[in-house]
Amino acid sequence: MAIVAERRITAYPWPALLGMAIALLGLLAMVVAVFYPAEFLFPQLWSVQPLAYVGMAAVVLGLGLAVGVYAVAQVRHRNGNGYGGADDWSRLTEQQFETFQHDLGRPMRRILGKCREVRGVLATTGEDVSIVVHELLDEIEEQAPSFRLMMANMQVMINLEIPDAPLDTYPVEPSAVVSRIVERYTGQASEQGKDIVWWAEPEQFGLVYSDAAVLEHIIANLVDNALRYGGDEVEINVTRSPANFMVKVTDNGTGIPAHYRTHLFTRGWTPEMGRSEEKTSSGLGLYISRTLARRYGGDLSVASALAPADGHHTTFTLTLPVGSPVAH
Amino acid sequence: MPSPSGNILIVDDEATSAIVRAVCRRLEDEGWGTQVVSKEEHGSADDMLWAALQAIADHRPDGVILDVRLGDYRDDQFKGLDILKRIVGEHPRLPVLMFTQYSHGVERDTVARSALQVNAPVEFIDKLASPEEVALRVRRLVGADTRTIAIGERIVIDSDAESVMVRRDDGRLAPVQDVGGRRFQILLELAQAWYRSPGNLVSFDRLERYLDGDDTRASLRVRIREIKVAVGHALGIPLGANDFIVSVRDRGYRLLPPRE
Repeated sequence: MAIVAERRITAYPWPALLGMAIALLGLLAMVVAVFYPAEFLFPQLWSVQPLAYVGMAAVVLGLGLAVGVYAVAQVRHRNGNGYGGADDWSRLTEQQFETFQHDLGRPMRRILGKCREVRGVLATTGEDVSIVVHELLDEIEEQAPSFRLMMANMQVMINLEIPDAPLDTYPVEPSAVVSRIVERYTGQASEQGKDIVWWAEPEQFGLVYSDAAVLEHIIANLVDNALRYGGDEVEINVTRSPANFMVKVTDNGTGIPAHYRTHLFTRGWTPEMGRSEEKTSSGLGLYISRTLARRYGGDLSVASALAPADGHHTTFTLTLPVGSPVAH
Repeated sequence: MPSPSGNILIVDDEATSAIVRAVCRRLEDEGWGTQVVSKEEHGSADDMLWAALQAIADHRPDGVILDVRLGDYRDDQFKGLDILKRIVGEHPRLPVLMFTQYSHGVERDTVARSALQVNAPVEFIDKLASPEEVALRVRRLVGADTRTIAIGERIVIDSDAESVMVRRDDGRLAPVQDVGGRRFQILLELAQAWYRSPGNLVSFDRLERYLDGDDTRASLRVRIREIKVAVGHALGIPLGANDFIVSVRDRGYRLLPPRE
């Protein structure tokens, strides 16, 4: 907080200093006025030395300017989009997020830990408990991936707000990133009777220069969506051309109608909104994914086949530049 | 004692947590041997680091899982990284899987990059990950050079003996007839790919290496059918187009454990 308060004042130093200077000059003028009797100048007009009036005006004007500048800085800061304000804002949110993810993450890990402990106890004692207990445990554990993704989305959102964040690229193995995501979602998918299949072409895909965390984040969002809204099969494939590499996530769901497709990448939009139902997700995933992809010189697009004859499906295609090694 | 899959050393900086216990159980179920070095027994962080290095020297594990606090607080982050750095410094080729708070935030990579200037096989995993996910990651990180691979509850593939076995109703393993030679090689290739990363398909090209003739694609199809018939017969259930070995859209085949 200290950093923010300090920055709030220093955001507009020159106008504020000018205001203070004018006010000081005004005070000086009022003092000087005492030593010059009014009779010397325009006695018929002024009963008090006119310099005193000028001084008073300057004091009011100067203080007004200083206070005004401070107030503008305050308001801009609060809106979080002002010049010099955005930086503070994301810094503050970043700090708060850290506390938040710690305070939320810990109980979440505890809950999951206890959940696993209960399962362990049930397995070792061989106690015959109601199937409902197992279903409840499943339910708790199933929520974990959504929670992880939500936390990650929020963190990326905050990082996106930092102006001029450097876009560092490092060697990344896209097929390793994909298999990590498959690892994460395999359990959840098989619980729901769904399947995830993936391949890379060429098989020895090799390295690209990108950001592994960004890549993983975008693909995780796409896979999460496919499992949530798609059919019972999700297919991920990674291919490359000389300049770009592509990650396609295809599901065999009923497809996305054209009037929904236009809203897909809108911040905060979820399919439930189109049906006036309660939202079940934040609606940030695709917005963040596309923003990230574009920031890294690529794009995220969607194609959907609705006719059952075409084997209806939806494919999200992430395209990113292959990049080149950069000296760090 | 050598375990069929390998040995994993787990370094835990708290009294053994529920997560670590669950991970241990899961790994042991899969045939991994596990040793745990925890702060419970070794008071301070320095003692624990020393005990961990000693355990690596003694047990020569195939991989290490580090659950030393990384990311909870800034100070702890560096402590956790210190331990990681020491282990990587002394054993640069030893695969290490480290728990972090959030594995796919942007921060993780920054932390990792600053920590490791060497090209060591270190990966990070979310502390909220399920034991299954941890086991999958360990498999991929340590490598899948296992002699036996269990596919689901009832099928076991033994690469040394070049045989496929099926668990019968009485719990005994019985070898499957008619899956030898090239058929076995094809099945083993599929099983290894599945073991490393479930869902990863094996391309036709890769499988056709085991076959010769003009139309290797057709002969591969025949071999796959033969494998499925033989295994299905041994299991006592017919294996359909979407069971056990599944063809994926003109790309290749993948293994799918038969649903119970």
